Amino acid sequence: MRCCDVERLWDDMRDALQPHREAVIKHLRACPPCQALYEQYEGIAYCLTCLPPPVPPATLVPKIIEHIRSAVKATVPDSVAKVHSPIGLLFVAFRESGITYVALDRGEGDEAAFQRIKVRLGRSVVPSTAPAWVSETIAAFFRNHTSDLERVDISDLTPFEQATLRATAQIPAGEVRSYGWVAAAIGQPNAARAVGGVMARNPVPLLYPCHRVVDCEGRLHNYEYGVEVKARILELEGCSSYKR
Amino acid sequence: MSALAPILGDYRLSAPAMTPQPVRHVKGVPGPENFEQIVDDYQRRLYGFALRMTGNREDAEEIVQDSFVRAYRALAKMDSQQRAELRLQPWLYTITLNVTRNRLRSKRPTNVALDSLADPDALLNETQEGPDQPEAIVDRAADMVLVEQALLQLPMHLRAAATLRFIEGRSHPEIAEILNQPIGTVKSHVHRAVRILRRILGPQVGRIVAESSTNEEED
Repeated sequence: MRCCDVERLWDDMRDALQPHREAVIKHLRACPPCQALYEQYEGIAYCLTCLPPPVPPATLVPKIIEHIRSAVKATVPDSVAKVHSPIGLLFVAFRESGITYVALDRGEGDEAAFQRIKVRLGRSVVPSTAPAWVSETIAAFFRNHTSDLERVDISDLTPFEQATLRATAQIPAGEVRSYGWVAAAIGQPNAARAVGGVMARNPVPLLYPCHRVVDCEGRLHNYEYGVEVKARILELEGCSSYKR
Repeated sequence: MSALAPILGDYRLSAPAMTPQPVRHVKGVPGPENFEQIVDDYQRRLYGFALRMTGNREDAEEIVQDSFVRAYRALAKMDSQQRAELRLQPWLYTITLNVTRNRLRSKRPTNVALDSLADPDALLNETQEGPDQPEAIVDRAADMVLVEQALLQLPMHLRAAATLRFIEGRSHPEIAEILNQPIGTVKSHVHRAVRILRRILGPQVGRIVAESSTNEEED
């Protein structure tokens, strides 16, 4: 057996069942340069095995799970159902996790409405009929003017948007509050304009009652469903302390 | 004591190379239902592999996240027979390696060895109960940084082969499966990696080995 053969077999010699084992050992006994080489290779393998195993940060597993969740969410479409209400026909998008979007029919036709919702959600939608929990959530809003927020999914929104919408849910039915009040309620008193932005983008009007937020003089500003509808909802809630 | 002594007697491995920490295996067929368990079982291992491959903690974290998302999507598309036949561990390594390759390719030239990966605190904790003197521990940490940097200087395909073989403790057939290469190619890559490491580390190797065997004898 030649030196080059012996050199090549070094890593194989680490496995117990190397068929050339005897021949290699015989060669090594008689060949100091090959011995020295084996010793060095063995030393390198040893150094590599001595590297301390890296410890991942404790946040890695939750990050991975969150990553997978959002990846999955992006590929599973929302269902969209038509639900009748006192203010007109609503298109309600929902997933297992809750209602994700509530749109008022603009008379544009189903196709266009679905397209509008798809663009807003940033994922595909499939037409569906409303399961009982969806129609009941909408009906309960018009009956009691409150919503079961467990059935509304705003997890797509930023933490600021979520906090802002949750603050609107603190406003009792029949009353209104200013943008500044909401900003103060989330601990950012200078963020009244940003609150206005969140109200304008609210994907779930009614359920998170952005219609109860008015300007500091009590005037109604724009509303996803139009100012007329905003006034109508406030009237249904028995509120009169706003200005047109 | 010479590191070669075992060779002349009954050849055996002088380093604890082939005893990787056992992985608690996911029970049953892998699928989206038990994926959290899979993440829990393999995140440590894949993070370690990605870190050795990239030398950068942030890259390693993102690589592992992307790899698990890919694995999840792929598993979700498989039918039950494909899932039953899947060899989970090599498959996860393969995905991690592909993600690593894509990431490093788009990031060239690689920032070699900017991070010092050997965590001196961890080394201190590990050896706290041993007889090591503080300066010995610091030397040891410095040595480990040398080894890490040498590994990061290898071309990626050789680094993958050497990492899987010596750090992850995988067999030649397993590495061949992970890298999708013939066993002969794997062996030749491992061999070339060791030759280059020998050239980079040179006489340091003998010193590191000698120092650790001194420590062992003191134990």
